[in-house]
Amino acid sequence: MLWYKTWLETRLRFLVGLAVLLCSAAGVVLQYPRVVELLGQMPAVSLGGEIGRRVQEAVEHSRHYRSYVWSQGFRQNLAQMGTLFAVVLGTGVFFHFSRGAALYTLSLPVSRSRLLGVRAATGLAQWLAMALLPSLLIAVLSPTVGQSFGLVDALAHGLCLFFAGAVFFSLTVLLSTLFAVVWRPLLLALLAAVVLSIPDQVGAGWSRYSLSGLMSGEAFFRTGRMPWLGLFAAASLSAALLYGAARNFARRDF
Amino acid sequence: MPESWAIETTELRKSYGSTEVLRGLNLQVSRGSIHGFLGKNGAGKTTTIKTLLGMTHASGEARVLGLGAGDPTAGVEIRRRTGFVSEDKDLLDYMTIDQIVRFTASFYPRWRSDLQQHYLQAFELPVERKVKALSRGMRTKLALMLAFCRGAELLILDEPTSGLDPAMIEEVLQSIVRHVSREELTVFFSSHLIAEVEQIADHVTIIDRGRTVIAGALDDLRERYCRVQLVFDGEAPHPVFRANGIVRVNRQGRVLSVLAAGDRDAVLEEARALGPASVDVMPVNLKEIFLETVTSEE
Repeated sequence: MLWYKTWLETRLRFLVGLAVLLCSAAGVVLQYPRVVELLGQMPAVSLGGEIGRRVQEAVEHSRHYRSYVWSQGFRQNLAQMGTLFAVVLGTGVFFHFSRGAALYTLSLPVSRSRLLGVRAATGLAQWLAMALLPSLLIAVLSPTVGQSFGLVDALAHGLCLFFAGAVFFSLTVLLSTLFAVVWRPLLLALLAAVVLSIPDQVGAGWSRYSLSGLMSGEAFFRTGRMPWLGLFAAASLSAALLYGAARNFARRDF
Repeated sequence: MPESWAIETTELRKSYGSTEVLRGLNLQVSRGSIHGFLGKNGAGKTTTIKTLLGMTHASGEARVLGLGAGDPTAGVEIRRRTGFVSEDKDLLDYMTIDQIVRFTASFYPRWRSDLQQHYLQAFELPVERKVKALSRGMRTKLALMLAFCRGAELLILDEPTSGLDPAMIEEVLQSIVRHVSREELTVFFSSHLIAEVEQIADHVTIIDRGRTVIAGALDDLRERYCRVQLVFDGEAPHPVFRANGIVRVNRQGRVLSVLAAGDRDAVLEEARALGPASVDVMPVNLKEIFLETVTSEE
């Protein structure tokens, strides 16, 4: 029943997040014919510097469906909105504790580690659905625009999105055990996400080693190989953050 | 710990920042009693209760039903055998009554479905209604019902009647008394309303600023405490009583009023030696004991 309670408390944010990400994924696919049309009308321009490189890269990516989906879908929309929703899901872990239901929940014969475990597991399961379903939707919808995107590719990108996003989720859970208010963990985790994306902005070479690079599955896109080391590192970091959250939660006074 | 204690704390201490909330609190609640836990607002009642249930960590020792409240594993067992109602009647607002009953029941192997049916009917609780839509009174009744049905050996109620009108207070108190008369359990309830403690409790502990100032059976306290009133022909003197158990001495014009506990004869002997025009020994109620002991600590 603890799972049921957790579902009731988190379902709204989960369903809203999932709906937004599904719409975003569908939008990326359904926009492609229009993008191809615009590419044909685009004059050849040559811009210098980092911005020029990025514009050129975006144009190049748009010429091929697979790279377009990666660039617009996995690297931008899903990664950015996914980070936001992973953080929101993490904030939700203690949302109801700060709304006065803490004493009732804590009066139940349940250990704090189990309370946190159920919350974290529910949040991670929801985040897994939010990472995988939009990715798979891209593969399913692609034939409607005369293109194809492999299910395995979609699954691989979805897993990269999940493992990297889990770090932000776990960070927010940890921050939620430090601050009683809801908005502070949210803002701090988003700030951390912005800071961690800086290497990605510095130059193309760095993005492969950054968390946002892992989130977009850049290594898989470029080499076709899963970034196992990066996924393992992200999973370990998430586990460490959740362990810290559990320790903190056990010490906390209510 | 003797098997007779349902709750026992020894030198319980808790601070929030520089504020010391519990300052070596010693407390004993015997099994099978209805124990009132009295204190002014901010005296440390809620912190004590939270410590007993493992919601707050404090130094010193707290044992509930023979188990250490500070141990997380024992804490789970304590909560399995204890029913609790918080001061704010914290419940899961987004659930319906039916949902919260089923949810709570799932954690208690000894859940009393017979009592559930009884109280749903007796308290006229609309099972399909959301908890957040309940009035304060209905919310209190629901919280009590959820505590009663746990099959608990111990009920811990933190200000169970706070925020209720007099009629509802009476109804809630009566339902607690009726429940206790049917089931064999210990009730430990905090309050700052002396009348309700006097109405249903058989034992009482009065705390002030994190320390126990009076504890015992209510009848014993009434027996032990008395007020000795001396009226003098002229101005009352400023005596220094040597007898044990002088709680407070008030002097007003010709009248000297002494609240005494313990050796009544010794107090009377000293009082008569002062040469008053009259000496009266009067019984005191819990309110007087509470007010005099708590204020004398100032």
